[in-house]
Amino acid sequence: MITPRLVGLLRLAGCAGIVALTWLVVLPRVGHLPPIARHVRAMEKAEVNPAAMVYTELERLPLRPDWAHEQIMLWP
Amino acid sequence: MPHDLTDSGHRGLHEDTAAIVVGGLLVALALALGWSARPAENAGSRKAFPKGWPNPLAATIDKPQTWDDSPAQSLSDKKGKPVTVPILFGMAWVVGVLVGGTALRGRSVAAVLPGAATLAVLGGLAYLLAAQKLVNHYNLEYPLWALLVGLVIGNTVGVPRWLQPALQGEFLIKAGLVVFGAEVLFSRLLELGLPGLLTSWVVTPIVLVVTYWFGVHWMRIPSKSLCMVISADMSVCGVSAAIATGAACKAKKEELSLAIALSLLFTVAMMVAMPPFIRWAGIDPIVGGAWLGGTIDATGAVVAAGEMLGKEIDDKRPAEVAATVKMIQNSMIGIIAFAVAVYWAGWVERGSSGPRVSLAAEAWHRFPKFILGFVAASIVCSVLFSRSPENALWVDGATLGFTSRLRGWLFCVGFVCMGMQTVFRELAPYLASGRPLVLYVLGQCLNLALSLAMASLTFGWLFRKVVEP
Repeated sequence: MITPRLVGLLRLAGCAGIVALTWLVVLPRVGHLPPIARHVRAMEKAEVNPAAMVYTELERLPLRPDWAHEQIMLWP
Repeated sequence: MPHDLTDSGHRGLHEDTAAIVVGGLLVALALALGWSARPAENAGSRKAFPKGWPNPLAATIDKPQTWDDSPAQSLSDKKGKPVTVPILFGMAWVVGVLVGGTALRGRSVAAVLPGAATLAVLGGLAYLLAAQKLVNHYNLEYPLWALLVGLVIGNTVGVPRWLQPALQGEFLIKAGLVVFGAEVLFSRLLELGLPGLLTSWVVTPIVLVVTYWFGVHWMRIPSKSLCMVISADMSVCGVSAAIATGAACKAKKEELSLAIALSLLFTVAMMVAMPPFIRWAGIDPIVGGAWLGGTIDATGAVVAAGEMLGKEIDDKRPAEVAATVKMIQNSMIGIIAFAVAVYWAGWVERGSSGPRVSLAAEAWHRFPKFILGFVAASIVCSVLFSRSPENALWVDGATLGFTSRLRGWLFCVGFVCMGMQTVFRELAPYLASGRPLVLYVLGQCLNLALSLAMASLTFGWLFRKVVEP
């Protein structure tokens, strides 16, 4: 007897299977393709976290660069 | 303690007030513990403490680390240190925030616990998906996967009854935004130099206002909040700006989800395409770096694109300039969110219905009060940050060590909740019309043109001597 709940569970299992296949098989293989692997290595070497949403999530906090010595005085 | 009666009939604080209380207490706790553990020596040395003073709470929270072939790799950091316990604590913080918020709102804490624990685990799953190395390096951030996890569950088996009391996505996002306020430091602007400031502060508001106006009046997109969220995430700084302005203008879950998906997809494309285009077009690398910072939505993607650009010429300045411009845009989120909330409460919602009372009274009535908590956290931390080098390291330690991670967990689980409450069918009209996509593309074209012009003016001409070695 196929109930709506069973259909829902089967759909969930199907989605979970697709996600597992993609994340455990497809993405690692794509990530090992030479141009992509080179890009990832370069980013890791430079300690860049490309997934940072805001600056506080970066590996290295952007500090005041040497060239930015133009002080802005908002009050004396 | 003042009480008001919420619309659901529970005696307790309003959701916004509860978010301010919970978020404010957590920021205060991080600052207090950071101060109590201040270092005895070199307390003002950025060299000694590049990420601020060590905060005791930093050991109590983390997220799954980047992994390549096996998800098990996500349980230890780059140095091989296990992070399983801090990840579990991260989930516990989410449960704690949900329980605290529920209690403050006068609802049953016991009814929330099983759902809160389940949602925290689902948030961990979303973080795990986002931590896959390829996904991580192409900037497909955790909100996308949190929405996906929620959407899949909500649209297959549905939300079980026992989980529903914990499904407080809006509360988690609001509390997360109050905590986020501690990271939005106005005072950093003063450190970052005039050229970056001009590039960010002139172009961003123009692009935001013009894109919004274009979407509402020229393209006639029925939802003003959708136009605002798309305009903000495209012109300011991607997902974080979308979350803040979406909450300020009370955007629907579907609208925020769509804006975030658009932003992340275009971020990937621009991060990959812009550095080679800049080299091909012969644009000066410093100007190119500023252009990247002003146009690519996400901070990490900006730095990655700047590195790609600088790598070819063995120069760190393009990445430095790009990060600086983007960091200034990050610091604008508070002002933009506050302005949007005032505009929405005073003009957009006021014009739609209700009796005519004074503008100020009605604007205050409709104003999303949690924005005040967000702005207050930002002002307090900005003032503390700017008082002395020691205080700057104190604030950095609290934000980098604890509040930024906590905010990440709160947003992540908040998006899982939003995904669960989103019905695919309700997303269809937005996708079918294609107008949000057109608005994003047109707004981004304007952003690209104006940012290149301003970057050429500031970094290429007016302040060229400052930037050159």
